[in-house]
Amino acid sequence: MLPHPILTNEELAAIKHLNHRGWKSKVIDITWAKSEGTAGLVTALDRICQEAEQAIADGFQLVVLSDEALSAERVPISSLLAVGAVHHHLIRQAKRTQIGLILESGEALEVHHHCLLVGYGADAINPYLAFEALWQAQRDGLLPADYSDDKIVHGYQKAVAKGMLKVMSKMGISTLQSYKGAQIFEAVGMASEVIDKCFVGTASRIQGVGFEILAREALRRHEIGFPARAEQRLPVLPNFGEFHWRADGEKHMWDPQAIADLQVAARENSADAYHRFAKHSNEEATRKCALRGLLTFKTGINKPVPLAEVEPAKEIVKRFCTGAMSFGSISAEAHETLAIAMNRVGGKSNTGEGGEDPERFKPLPNGDSKRSAIKQVASGRFGVTINYLTNADELQIKMAQGAKPGEGGELPGHKVDDYIARIRYSTPGVGLISPPPHHDIYSIEDLKQLIHDLKNSNPKARVSVKLVSEVGVGTIATGVAKAYADHILISGDTGGTGASPITSIKHAGLPWELGIAETHQTLVMNDMRSRVTLQTDGQIKTGRDVVIAALLGAEEIGFSTGPLVSLGCIMMRKCHLNTCPVGIATQDPVLRQKFRGEPEHLINYLFLIAEEARQIMSELGFRTFNEMIGRADCLETNAAIKHWKAEGIDLAPLLAPAKKPHPDVEVYKTREQDHGLADAIDNELIAACQKAIKRREPVVLERKIVNINRTVGTTLSHEIAKRWGDELLPDDTIRIKFTGSAGQSLGAFLAKGVTIELEGDANDYVGKGLSGGRVVIYPPAGSLFKAEDNILLGNVALYGATSGYAYFRGRAAERFAVRNSGAHAVVEGVGDHGCEYMTGGIVVVLGPTGRNFAAGMSGGIAYVWDPAGDFISRCNLGIVELERVEAPQDVADLLNLIEQHRQFTESTVAEKLLAQWPEVTAQFVKVMPTDYKRVLAERAKHDEEVEAGVHGVPTNG
Amino acid sequence: MGKPTGFKEFPRKPVPYRDPLVRLQDFGEIFTQPPEEHLQRQGARCMDCGVPFCQSDSGCPIDNLIPEWNDLVYHGRWREALDRLHKTNNFPEFTGRTCPAPCEGACVLGITDPAVTIKNIENAIIDRGFAEGWVAPQPPPSRTGKRVAVIGSGPSGLAAAAQLNKVGHAVTVYERADRIGGLLMYGIPNMKLDKGVVERRVNLLRAEGIKFVTKADVGNKESPHFVDPKQLLAENDAILLATGATRPNDLPIPGRGLAGIHFAMEFLTANTKSLLDSRHADGRYISAKDKDVIVIGGGDTGTDCIGTSMRHGCKSLVNFELLPKPPKDRAPDNPWPTWPRIYRTDYGHQEVAAKFGDDPRTYCVMSKEFVGDEQGQVAGIRTVQVEWNKVDGQWKLKELAGTDKFWPAQLVLLAMGFKGPEQYVSELLGIETDPRSNYKAVHGRFATNHPQVFAAGDCRRGQSLVVWAINEGRGAARAIDLALMGSSDLPSPGLTLGVAAIG
Repeated sequence: MLPHPILTNEELAAIKHLNHRGWKSKVIDITWAKSEGTAGLVTALDRICQEAEQAIADGFQLVVLSDEALSAERVPISSLLAVGAVHHHLIRQAKRTQIGLILESGEALEVHHHCLLVGYGADAINPYLAFEALWQAQRDGLLPADYSDDKIVHGYQKAVAKGMLKVMSKMGISTLQSYKGAQIFEAVGMASEVIDKCFVGTASRIQGVGFEILAREALRRHEIGFPARAEQRLPVLPNFGEFHWRADGEKHMWDPQAIADLQVAARENSADAYHRFAKHSNEEATRKCALRGLLTFKTGINKPVPLAEVEPAKEIVKRFCTGAMSFGSISAEAHETLAIAMNRVGGKSNTGEGGEDPERFKPLPNGDSKRSAIKQVASGRFGVTINYLTNADELQIKMAQGAKPGEGGELPGHKVDDYIARIRYSTPGVGLISPPPHHDIYSIEDLKQLIHDLKNSNPKARVSVKLVSEVGVGTIATGVAKAYADHILISGDTGGTGASPITSIKHAGLPWELGIAETHQTLVMNDMRSRVTLQTDGQIKTGRDVVIAALLGAEEIGFSTGPLVSLGCIMMRKCHLNTCPVGIATQDPVLRQKFRGEPEHLINYLFLIAEEARQIMSELGFRTFNEMIGRADCLETNAAIKHWKAEGIDLAPLLAPAKKPHPDVEVYKTREQDHGLADAIDNELIAACQKAIKRREPVVLERKIVNINRTVGTTLSHEIAKRWGDELLPDDTIRIKFTGSAGQSLGAFLAKGVTIELEGDANDYVGKGLSGGRVVIYPPAGSLFKAEDNILLGNVALYGATSGYAYFRGRAAERFAVRNSGAHAVVEGVGDHGCEYMTGGIVVVLGPTGRNFAAGMSGGIAYVWDPAGDFISRCNLGIVELERVEAPQDVADLLNLIEQHRQFTESTVAEKLLAQWPEVTAQFVKVMPTDYKRVLAERAKHDEEVEAGVHGVPTNG
Repeated sequence: MGKPTGFKEFPRKPVPYRDPLVRLQDFGEIFTQPPEEHLQRQGARCMDCGVPFCQSDSGCPIDNLIPEWNDLVYHGRWREALDRLHKTNNFPEFTGRTCPAPCEGACVLGITDPAVTIKNIENAIIDRGFAEGWVAPQPPPSRTGKRVAVIGSGPSGLAAAAQLNKVGHAVTVYERADRIGGLLMYGIPNMKLDKGVVERRVNLLRAEGIKFVTKADVGNKESPHFVDPKQLLAENDAILLATGATRPNDLPIPGRGLAGIHFAMEFLTANTKSLLDSRHADGRYISAKDKDVIVIGGGDTGTDCIGTSMRHGCKSLVNFELLPKPPKDRAPDNPWPTWPRIYRTDYGHQEVAAKFGDDPRTYCVMSKEFVGDEQGQVAGIRTVQVEWNKVDGQWKLKELAGTDKFWPAQLVLLAMGFKGPEQYVSELLGIETDPRSNYKAVHGRFATNHPQVFAAGDCRRGQSLVVWAINEGRGAARAIDLALMGSSDLPSPGLTLGVAAIG
């Protein structure tokens, strides 16, 4: 048994010479003779497949595909082609399971390479050249002198294994067994002859390079290593500029010319500089980097219209949004400048997933506003309070990020200062990891519920769902439209790369051109297009890009990198190091002072884009933006581009006109979704609570509830937040007692000042996003069962709660208090994954817990009553430790919550525990996150020192 | 990137020059040897930018791998730094001393802070390389049998020769002067570029197999050292013209015929030749000793005239500049990363200020007449102040009435730039020239209208920097190699192996 798929040289040698209980291995050469030229590649692949099949017939159990024979005369075949060809050949012959497929290759180096190889059928890989390179690096002094060769190999194995695990987790796959041969990939720019032979079943929508080109590339690389002219051997290895731009390396969309010209254009409002920027971008950078670079506009379909008759730029810029970059990832200065600029032009800026300071909701004296129109609701739910949701024009559910699908945001601890921690309801200095999925979304029905919850939290805001471009996104989008989203964003692969892992930057996500085209076509085909607004984003930077996005189906456009560049970003690619020298992607106070961006710079840029778009619209004969949405017939492949690698590309799927099921189908948003808010119980509650909402006077109500009453108390909370802002109401101003069985999302985002008491039981999502309110649930009086032994409420209660109180006399189901960042809760038992990713607040469990308690919990405290002493076996001790409850403050907190619990719910468990107080504290376990403990200790020490005057006189802030 | 926070921790500290009053006593180099830690700290300031503008179009014309060698220097890995440096630059010891460093003008750190001292680090790497004996001749492993003649031994010709020789062509360099180096030898004075440094490199190239012929005045029938370019064509597979732009701009105002008015190059060339031949004992140079000197023109050559005059022991020195004094910081129309047109103080200005108290430069001055004495020797210049105004986007010059002034001078040096190459080679070979009288050839192809003849450097692009000459020399070498062999993997700026277009 191998612990993971990376073989050391010794392991490979053992396999090659295997002769054990009838197990033998056969080595197959995967090189071809240079003298055969490009034609040799396919011949060699066929030979390799035949030899592998023959090996089975000859009784071998393992084949080793090896490029060891590589020499000046022999060219190595790309290891992925070889593995894929053999794997699929044997599958076609129904013989794949009879043999193990081992690869010995100098080509496989990065995590992504290994993922592809395993994903297309390799059982194990020996990346000998990676080892050699690392050993040489050590000899050259780049690695510590005391590292042995073995240690280096083990380090590499471990790194690759962890990297692969991360990639697998993004795709929701837990075991290597399931990942192997799973082909979780889409190809862009690969001809079907290659797919059919090596990657059967992989989506490759626009065709592309075939074996001839692949062979030419292999020969080209071979020529670098074994030049025909001996004097041309390389003195020093070249840097091809894959990650950092190099003058003589790989093309990058943001090269020096683009950045410099755009900054002049934005700063000086210079049409000349913008023209240079756009020309370079459209005709150089984009052409070489993006699919839309291969397109051209087809004039003559409509008669051109005079420029003056085209919708003015000030209308077009209203369709522009800036991307979801959180305050935290970028500085307050940069974040607020984006917001001010977008608000001035009537576009929308986006909070990102880091919450927003309520101070920013108030307009500035000069009429400007720092309020982000789009409030993002991501899996971390950082700072998602009722007040946050109320102060939005759009609520965006981030299902995934275009540039790193499947991954959540990560904010390293050194970027989490006091202010950011306050806005995010977390602890300064503790890193923040957004969970990959939303814990309240496991199906489209769950998403539908979240859309409903958010609509209730702010009925005037449109609810948007952010999806990523991938094959099948059209079907997903149709489901999302049916789940009553008002708006869908299709995010491309090229955005959001600031702090993404390198594997994701280079290898994850797909072009938005494919995604928006498919989404538009599918929505039109299902006559759902008229109900949603479509937006797309991903390195859109010129008017040409905007028009192409519209022609493919988008009515709104998202920009991120361009606006940051206009404000001074120079693509340092140091966003994760907190050392951004222009004060954008940093929280360092010294560096933030170097920020020179002004709202005018971004505004200038947006108007320059809009003017360029208008110019094209006039040539294409469109007077309004809406007229051109989905008019893919005005695009065609640019026949003038004759790049040797672009010849096989077929963009027809992109340009296919959307098929209308009947002639009246509308192709952009024309009608509103029916969210069913008119039937909500909250309408009545709001009416009954007017004196509380308007004058803060107490209101007490009693009502019946049944499970069709979903998301109860949320719109009421919205009304309170609208009137009173973050302050909300004094505790218990409104007390509502329900009896019955509550539907989903009872008390979601419940505002401070509102208490919901329920005699009965509740469904999933109780107290989701709790915002200071109090939720109390207990079984009906006269119930015969023991409350503490029975499930009282469903899954995902208190997910993303930021403050407030909850007392549940009975057990909760799974995922209790996940991402809680401030609520205090008492419950009499929880299912699996309790307190996962929690960052604040207190949870008291007076009963059993399920497995995986406290996984990823980086803040807050949980107290678990553990009379049997076996809780430790169900707790995930990754980043928490277990302690006794001894400190006076801990004992007092616990006692207090249990007393409250008894008082509100008349819990017999609480009664019994209090009767044995304080001896019973010995039966409690305190779950304490390690990092949180360290930071609290540091802070306590600092506070003491401040009092003792060690740091001199404390200054403000 | 050496140290992610290096730029926050260490301020920019250029390697200082020798003390002005001390260095004025000799023609030795003005530079000092910095301690290693100094350079490592300065290297640590490099931010390893995602988009390193230091090697963009506004930055280094030869795409020096600046972030890479900054990092290597920070880590004390000098040998590898040297290899990286030589990968793009044949002559770092020339650029490290003489380059105005557009890379530093484009340095990203320069947006908010003083730029990294790239030029100092470059120079230290190559000096270290020579000191350690790492720079050794590397003759090609085999010869192609092709022959190339390079006419002109300035930085462009030498760079092309070095590259062509590297891939096995037999290269002969023809130079009309008595020493190899062109502008490097006689244009730039010794205190800025020690002639031993030039000869050291020439000797290396010679050891690698390049043949050098001095006193070979190709195409100049007037010269006793005439060499017929047609003969060279017959003997070689290709010819590269790298003759430089050597025709100086003149100042044709009354009195121009007076004695004591010289072109800068006459003055500088004679000075260096006499210095090298006899340490000035032969007296065959134009001396500024005890004279009032006026240098007209505010460029690098003007500065070199100032430094040389000061070393002769001039009585006073004034430097005329027609343009206004540049601003202290970048003007709005001169944004980063373009070359910063700001007020700088070069070594010559420093020296004048140290000895006479004031900076020698005076701006917006237009010379109207050279005034002579009875012997026909210049005695001074009459000038008028001018004003510059932008009219319809164009700068217009206006003379200010009542600002006439007389400046005494017994030596006037004209350093107002150059027109183009001397035309005799092109005339003999029938090479087309462009409207600015440069040899007509497109950058990147470097081919003239004659299939065997290529052109590179100042003779093609007009007067420019040493580093641009190297850019052109390297590019032309690739173009010639391609023409001779049908394919070329020779690196040239903007192209690298594997990325260059094929087929």
